[in-house]
Formats: sequence, C-alpha cells, structure tokens
Amino acid sequence: MFSSFRLSMTWVHTWFGLVLGYVLMACFFFGSLSVFDREIDRWAIPETRYEPQPMPSFDKLLLPIFKAIEPRQESYDEAQKEVHGPLPPREKMVAGEFGAYTTHRDPVLSMFSSFDVPNKPKNPNVDHVHVFGGVTIDPRDGTAISDDKLKIGSRFFYPLHYSLHLHWLDLGYWIVGFAALIMLVALVTGVVMHRKIFREFFTFRPKKQTQRSVLDLHNLTGVVALPFHFFFAFTGLVIFAGIYLPVTGPMFKAQAEAHEKIEEERTGLPHDPAGVAAPLASVDAMVVEARRRWAERDMAGEVGFLGVTHYGDANGYVSVYRAGTDRVTLTGQGIHFRASTGEVILEDPQPSTVAGIDDWLTGLHLQHFRHWLLRWFYVLGGLAGCVCIATGFIFFVEKRKRQHARSGSAGVRVVDALAVAAVTGMLVATVTMLVANRLLPPELPARGDWEERIFWLAWLLALLHAGWRSAPMARAQRSPAWRAQCLALAVLCVAAPLLNWITTGDHLFKTLSKGYWPVAGLDLVLLLSAGIAVLVARRLRHGEAAEGVEQENPEASHA
Amino acid sequence: MRDVLMLAAALVSSAGGMAWLALAMKGHWQQVCGGAGPSRAAVLALRTLGALALTASLWLCLAVDHPSMAVLVWVMSLAAAALAVAFTLTWRPRWLRWWALPWSAAAAG
Repeated sequence: MFSSFRLSMTWVHTWFGLVLGYVLMACFFFGSLSVFDREIDRWAIPETRYEPQPMPSFDKLLLPIFKAIEPRQESYDEAQKEVHGPLPPREKMVAGEFGAYTTHRDPVLSMFSSFDVPNKPKNPNVDHVHVFGGVTIDPRDGTAISDDKLKIGSRFFYPLHYSLHLHWLDLGYWIVGFAALIMLVALVTGVVMHRKIFREFFTFRPKKQTQRSVLDLHNLTGVVALPFHFFFAFTGLVIFAGIYLPVTGPMFKAQAEAHEKIEEERTGLPHDPAGVAAPLASVDAMVVEARRRWAERDMAGEVGFLGVTHYGDANGYVSVYRAGTDRVTLTGQGIHFRASTGEVILEDPQPSTVAGIDDWLTGLHLQHFRHWLLRWFYVLGGLAGCVCIATGFIFFVEKRKRQHARSGSAGVRVVDALAVAAVTGMLVATVTMLVANRLLPPELPARGDWEERIFWLAWLLALLHAGWRSAPMARAQRSPAWRAQCLALAVLCVAAPLLNWITTGDHLFKTLSKGYWPVAGLDLVLLLSAGIAVLVARRLRHGEAAEGVEQENPEASHA
Repeated sequence: MRDVLMLAAALVSSAGGMAWLALAMKGHWQQVCGGAGPSRAAVLALRTLGALALTASLWLCLAVDHPSMAVLVWVMSLAAAALAVAFTLTWRPRWLRWWALPWSAAAAG
C-alpha cells in the first residue's frame, strides 16, 4: 500500500491522530485541570474555603451520618433496571457498607454507603447489584454540603477527562480508552516519522513559516515530554483495564470466584455476611491502634480511607488505610479489625511485586500525594500534550490549505473549525462555567446542573462560531475565529477573578496575604491566561494582516 | 526548607545539564557563541558535563523523596529543563553563553 515503512507510519499518525486528537485534547486538558481538582472545588464552593481537615471521629461524628444516608435516586432507578422484581422501598433499604476517603488537600469529607439489594440480577454473570448513596460533609461539625453545589473540579472536570460524561453503554470510557491506545500508537509512529529526533531536540523556530514552526513545536512538546505522554496514556488504560478486559467478572467467572474463596481463606476477611446481627465496637479505638502500628513501622501517618464492610453483621469488619501522602501509591498499610470486637484480623503484608507496580502505576496517574512541584510538573506535561495535539491540527491544516483552496475541497475548513472548537472553544467553555458559577443565584435549585448546561452550551456556541467564521479558509487564509475566541477567552479570564472578588470578597491581595493558595492560585492562573490570550490574539492579527498583503500582491510574500 | 533547596538545586542541575547537551550541538553552539562551532574536545567535555549534571539532579531528587516518587520528579524535571533550554535558545540564546564559557573563551583566544 505504501512505498516505505515510514510513509505507512505517517499515514497512521496523521489520520488516527486527527480523528482521536479531538478526544485526546479534552483528556489532556481536563486531566491537567484535575491535578488541582480540589482547589477548583474550593473556588467554586466558597463556603468550603478553609484548611484541609483530618479524618474526624467515626463514633461521634461519622456513624450517625452514615446511618442517615439514603440511596441516591438515580442509583436506585439504575439498579431497578438490572434486577428481577421490584426493589424494596428506597427509604427502607439497609446499608451494608460504609466508606470515607480524604487526602491532605480535602477540607470536606466524601462519605458513601452501599445498600444491599435482595433481588436476583438479570445478568447471570453478576452476583449482587448494589445501590449507592453519598454525602459530602464539613468534617469539623458534620454539616452536609448541598448536592446542588457542584464540585466543578472533582465531579465535573475530573470525570470529563476519562468518561466525557457520556454514560450511555459506558461509551465515554470506551472512546477515551481507544483514544489512549491511539495516543500510544501516535507516540510510536511519531518517533518513527521524526527524522531528526536528537538533532532537533531543542529546536523551535517561530520566525520560520507557520508550517515549519508549528511542526517544531509539535515535535518539541511531543519529544521532551514523551515519558509523560506515554505513562499517562498507559496508566490511564491500566486504571480502567477492568472495564476493557473484565477478567475478574464475566470473562473468567469460575476462576474469579475461586480466587475470592482463596483470598477469604488467606486474609480471614469474610466475603459474605453471616446473616447474624452484631454490634459495632468503637472504631475510634481501632484507628488509634492502626496509627500505633504504622508508627511502630516508622510510617506514622494520617488515615486516608476508613471503611466498614458487612455493617451490623457478625462477619462485619473495619478497614483502616494510611493516606499515601508521602508515597506515589494512593493508600496503603491497611489494617483490618473485627467490627464486633475491635481485634485485629489482618495487617496487610507488603504488596507483591506485581501488586506494588500496579499500585504505583495507578497512584502515579491519580496523584494524591503531597508534592507540589511534581503536581505542577504534571500540569506542565498535560499542557505540553495539549500544545502537541493543537499544533498537530494546525500542521495538518497548513500543509493542505492551499491545495484544498485550489481544488475547492472543504476538508481543511472542517478540520480547522473543529480545531478551533477543540482548542479555544474548550477554554472558553471552561472559563464560562467558572463565570456562571459566580453569577448564578446561590440558592438556585440544581445549580450544578445549570452550570453543566452552560458549559456544554458555551462549547456548542464556540463550535458554531468556528464553523460560521471559517469562510476565509476557502481562500487558504486563517479563520478569524481563532482570534475572536482568544479575545473572548481573555475577557472571561478577567471576569472570573473579578466576579470571585465581588461575590465572595476574596480578592487576590487578601488570598495572597493569607497564603490561601487554592483560590489565589486559580485567580492568578486565570489572569495569566488572559495575558497569554491577548498576546496570541495580537500575533494572530499580524498574521492575518500579512496574509491580506499576500493576497493582494502575491509576489510580496516571496520578496 | 532543606527539601525545597535540594529540589531547587535538582532543577538547576537538570537545566544546566540540558544546556550543556544543547551546546554540544553545532547549531545551538553557533546560536549562543557564533563562530565555527565547538571543537571536538569541547563537544566531549560538554556532553560529559551534561550527563554528570543530569545524574546529579537524579541524586538530589533521590535525597528528598521516596525513590518511587523521586524518579517521577526527575523525569519531569528533565522535560521542564529541555523546554526551558529550547525556549531560551529561541528567544535569548546569549543567556546560555555562561555554560559555554571556558571553551568559547579558548576558541576566541
């Protein structure tokens, strides 16, 4: 089909990269924002702007709240579709499992419970169906944070980067998974295509013609951050491997069940409830014991995850995990107690080599550790990925625009309009959401849903604008939509910190002098982005003016 | 505070290492110092220094964090340093002349 290996690799890189690039752009950008998801949450929910808190007392504070959690309506409706016969009434359901997870960056505590469903599942491969419920609290006094307030960072941008919020048939996970696979392919084919990977390692020549300088930038951001790109695409696939290859469920059901039985024998942690009621001993005492044992191992630390399995049953047990603040792994050193007596059943042994590597790969991507330099490096890596993808689009267009203009093909016009929407349009939608967050009335019911609608609407408008303004592409000129959206972005990026000041009183002088970085940091990044957007818009205007001259006087460009 | 200083030193070391590796290339040397490019002895010295600086950076990272985290910090510091050196070469190449000093002085003298 192709005359050389390099040409066939070029074909794969170009076409797969183009199609999946739009998805990867969103994955890389919203993934970069997710590095500071908790901080974005603080900006978006001003009543949670206080210092991170440790795990509060289970006995006094958490248990009554756990017992009061009701199943979420959507989760209940979802489960109803998956089982035979009607479910028990929602408010009568009994919680069998509790969990609370926190990190060194969380002032609020996320709590969830899982409710047992007695009905037989329709899918013969599934043992049990569960219904879930959850609440977010202020751990200082247990007050619930309203679900109407959307955690824009951790509940919108973060899931957007791996699910695209496309839940029908889990389609979002599959699209992102496929895009991650193509990312790996694009990295390998990109290295094959690149003739001067070492000689041009440090090369960026912005004064050369656009096609050359964007290719420089594409190669530079792709090559220097190659390990980052590779590891994040790869670990993303590892994290969701269970969805793509469900080996512990449907694929090898018998083996999976046998494995569960062996695990139960090995660990002494009951897989099923006994069906006999039993009380719950003091969990606070178990936490004290767990911390004592960590300190004994010279790994003193805070509680990261606290869970109760088979609550209220004689087989119940409590698991206390150490927060992985100083490690790449999320949590570890789990210690498990018999719920009714508080005696230790099991102290997790050192993970096997394979499990250790898996934990490291997962933790590397999910990054809940305390290391601000590394967190910013991740943002840098993610944004380098965005630049790499965006310059890929521009190179594609630059290379073909004259030829397409001559032949009257609309190909690059469509690609360019989509690229505008995927690059500046995505930024406009993101900041519009922050602006909407500050403008919507505080007590608006389902406020978060409105913020989400405004985000998608802004993105859609950006796409329509890009399509509408794309006519100059037919004459091989640059679309003015790029510049217009940069200017819109600059306005929005100034509006967001101003509105934050007006609505909360937390202006930059105050947040900086108090050293409250979650809000100060986001405000500063927004202002910096406004500055960059203005510079880019000015540069684009010069470019458009030069093109105009070229159009009137074709020889001028060769002078 | 000690950790912050050690990590800052690791960053400087990565950036210096990348600058030396870039200067060992003829095109970049000419951007920074002009002239005919580095002598063969200078190329060898620049490459050795570059490799040593990057190794020193790894060693500094390992002294601050658990090895499982230190390798991530180091790899990312290399990426950041390479970008910083590339953009310096684009817009302010003369800034890198300090790294070329002994050899550029020898070439000039």
